[in-house]
Amino acid sequence: MPAARATGAIALLAAVSAHAAHGTTYILLPAHSSLTYTFTQAGAANHGRFNTFTVRFDPTAGRLTVAVDMRSFDTGDSQRNRILGGKDFFDVARYPQARFTASRLTRTATGYRAVGPLTLRGVTRTVVVPFTWRIADIDNRTVGLLTGRMTIRRLDFGIGQGQWRSTEWVGNAVTLRYALQLVPSR
Amino acid sequence: MQFRNTSVRWGAVSQLLHWLIVALIAVQVTLGLIGLELPLGMEKLATLARHKSLGITILALATIRLLWRWMNPAPALPGNLAPIERFLARFTHAGLYVLLFALPLTGWIMSSARGFAVSWFNLAQLPNLVSKSDTLYHAMIEVHAALAIALGLILALHVAGALKHHFVLKDDTLRRMLPGRASAAARSGPTADSSGSSR
Repeated sequence: MPAARATGAIALLAAVSAHAAHGTTYILLPAHSSLTYTFTQAGAANHGRFNTFTVRFDPTAGRLTVAVDMRSFDTGDSQRNRILGGKDFFDVARYPQARFTASRLTRTATGYRAVGPLTLRGVTRTVVVPFTWRIADIDNRTVGLLTGRMTIRRLDFGIGQGQWRSTEWVGNAVTLRYALQLVPSR
Repeated sequence: MQFRNTSVRWGAVSQLLHWLIVALIAVQVTLGLIGLELPLGMEKLATLARHKSLGITILALATIRLLWRWMNPAPALPGNLAPIERFLARFTHAGLYVLLFALPLTGWIMSSARGFAVSWFNLAQLPNLVSKSDTLYHAMIEVHAALAIALGLILALHVAGALKHHFVLKDDTLRRMLPGRASAAARSGPTADSSGSSR
């Protein structure tokens, strides 16, 4: 039927134009990416990492979403990991995932500033995620390099309950560092 | 006030360092034992952090003390000692100096091996002496504890010796490490200046 064919053509056109507005979506190369954090414990800098997380980035559409498996954290000390995973800190049993979604992406001289809600330990707050972005050719492959760091206050998200609300022995400021490699999704 | 040592008496600097370290060791041992007993939590973290800060302080004071002793000859041992007493005196003093360094250093290595950098009173982070190692961490716990017990034994000898000199031999050995008036014998004794050759 001609009417049905016309409808199909419009749908196809709409799909093509939507695709153009989206641009390229980049997805994470986990093996070549790191998400780490530095915190102060008893006056000394201590480090940890998240081993499992996903990132989707579409520079043209201004989309950036990050999901972190909170159970995948590691601070390199089993005793400390037990405490951090527990109720007073990450409470990974109740809050297994942290999420960030950019609702606004603005260009900067070297990259972007993504502003949007970060949900961490069940608390959602608007944060600014600055990062540099460049496309490189690595092993004949187009790779987007997303790097940067930002500082959050753990108590803003309830990380540190009870006695751990005190910042005397565990500092409030936590620096997140991200060095990610992303590739265009196919 | 006499700041430097004389051939018969400890000067004010040596006395201050001696008694300051005595007081810090008393606090230090208490913190160490409390820290050991506490369950995992902030109180333990705080207690052990203070223990580490004090340990670094003692290490610094011990270094100053050794330098001061090197620039400033120690008063001679009393002349009324038997060879075995002379040996015991030198052994306990040498042992105490060794432990004043070995205890903080093994603690520092322990903390480094655990992967917890040492901070001095939350003011300055010190470098790690070794890289992270579970084996070394556990070995250092044993060594640190053994050295702490050795410190207790040698301190007992040291105090027993001082008390024997004071109450049994009735000489100036203890008094010359205390402020205040020296006995007549000490006052009339010769003084060693910085070029002193009493060593």
